[in-house]
Amino acid sequence: MFSNLEFFLVEALRSFRRSALMSFVAIGTITVSLFVFGVFLLLVVNLGSIVGSVSSKMDLAAYVNKDISLEEAGALQLTLAKIPGVEKIDFISRTEAWRQFKDEFGSQLDLDATMTNNPLPHTFNIKVRTPDILPKVAKEVSNFQLIDEVRYSGKFVDQMKSLLDAIRIGGASLVILIALATLLIVVNTIRLTVLARETDISIMKLVGATDIFVKWPFIIEGILLGVLGGLASFIILNFSYSAVLYKVSSALPFLPLMGDQRLLSLIYLTMVLLGTGLGMLGAYISVSRILNSEV
Amino acid sequence: MIELINVSKSYSNGIDVLLNINLFVGKEEFVFIVGPSGAGKTTMMKLLYREEVPTSGKVIVDRVNVAELDSKQVPYLRRNIGVVFQDYKLLPKRTVFENVAFALRVTGAPRSTIRRKVMQALELVGMLGRANSFPDELSGGEKQRACIARAIVNNPPILLADEPTGNLDPTTSWDIIQLLEKINKRNTTVLISTHNKGIVDDMKRRVVALESGRIVRDQLLGGYNV
Repeated sequence: MFSNLEFFLVEALRSFRRSALMSFVAIGTITVSLFVFGVFLLLVVNLGSIVGSVSSKMDLAAYVNKDISLEEAGALQLTLAKIPGVEKIDFISRTEAWRQFKDEFGSQLDLDATMTNNPLPHTFNIKVRTPDILPKVAKEVSNFQLIDEVRYSGKFVDQMKSLLDAIRIGGASLVILIALATLLIVVNTIRLTVLARETDISIMKLVGATDIFVKWPFIIEGILLGVLGGLASFIILNFSYSAVLYKVSSALPFLPLMGDQRLLSLIYLTMVLLGTGLGMLGAYISVSRILNSEV
Repeated sequence: MIELINVSKSYSNGIDVLLNINLFVGKEEFVFIVGPSGAGKTTMMKLLYREEVPTSGKVIVDRVNVAELDSKQVPYLRRNIGVVFQDYKLLPKRTVFENVAFALRVTGAPRSTIRRKVMQALELVGMLGRANSFPDELSGGEKQRACIARAIVNNPPILLADEPTGNLDPTTSWDIIQLLEKINKRNTTVLISTHNKGIVDDMKRRVVALESGRIVRDQLLGGYNV
């Protein structure tokens, strides 16, 4: 088997060299397809992380529009904290809220002149564990008599989620289309190298080579095309994404782009493996079709 | 060793190439198949190594009806049949050594065995000195010797030669035929299709004459014509 493997590799490289131009075209196509695939994956992952971080900032705000004592507020805070899913509660008294408001806008407006008394309510800022339980917690909070109003930006989260789903579905179809196109190009590239070696193949079969033996060098050639395309797209995407990360982190620091090396490596690995698979499958289809049409 | 029973072959365009052929060739025989072009000599050979399938009849090689052989088994049949071609069918970008080794490589033989057997085959055909030459550096006779070396490197019990001297001058043709006879003496059944009247007449071996797809003569110690 070892001597066979060596034979297959030598044959594959020989054929690769012989049709160098077509091979480079195929590698280029695989590179572009996988690059688009990788960009799409990164897009989905990043949107996910943006949605996640936006959602995690989604607090409930519960307003109390009555004058309550600090003790009452403290007791309410403790009760609210017992609602399942609630992670953290901050109490901002109306005085505190008014002070913050004046700190922020007091320089632009003469507030004391226009406002005689504090219009702001007491506020409980409630953090929940996951965004999906927001509506449930909001309902429970609003059941308390002291609470006048509960607000949260549920709609925004829902919209972000449906956008993410749309991108996932659209992107998946796009990726399948690109993969098919790539497969066709690999099939054609290998077809040309198979046709160029028809004499070799017919002689191999005449001297008693099995079909699978004839196929191996071409399959290896396909794998070679796929691996090289995968590596090229990995290198290009890695460079571009690092550049994007660098630019974004300095220009838009609040945008939480994904920079997790393990997840990135996983994406890159997927790209290279996908390229390898495409190359192998393309070569297999191509050489099988030609071998079956013969004899 | 080889038996054709009521074999007919016609192509889809309706042309009958072989008609009701019955032929028996025993172990280690040396047989000339003669006849004009288009008589069906090449087709008959192709039936034996399953390059063609008969329209009807049985083609028995070494007790197996190759007409009904599963296509997965064809490679193993071919490892037992060496084939020599008029146009040599050598791979142009490979040396003589590589061309001969090719037939062993496809069987998955280990490298040391390949080297030993290729050297033996090349020695037998007198091509040891040209092992590293490429086919276009060889004369016609040398190319045919390389082709024969490839055909016998597996030690097949049967050797088929389809017009092996078709492209060669008379002296070289003689050398090739004598080489084939030498191989026959090493316990190999040899079938040679040829137009070469001089050689057939001088060799005085069994002659099977084909004409328009039929066997018109089967004669021991025969000549090209009756």
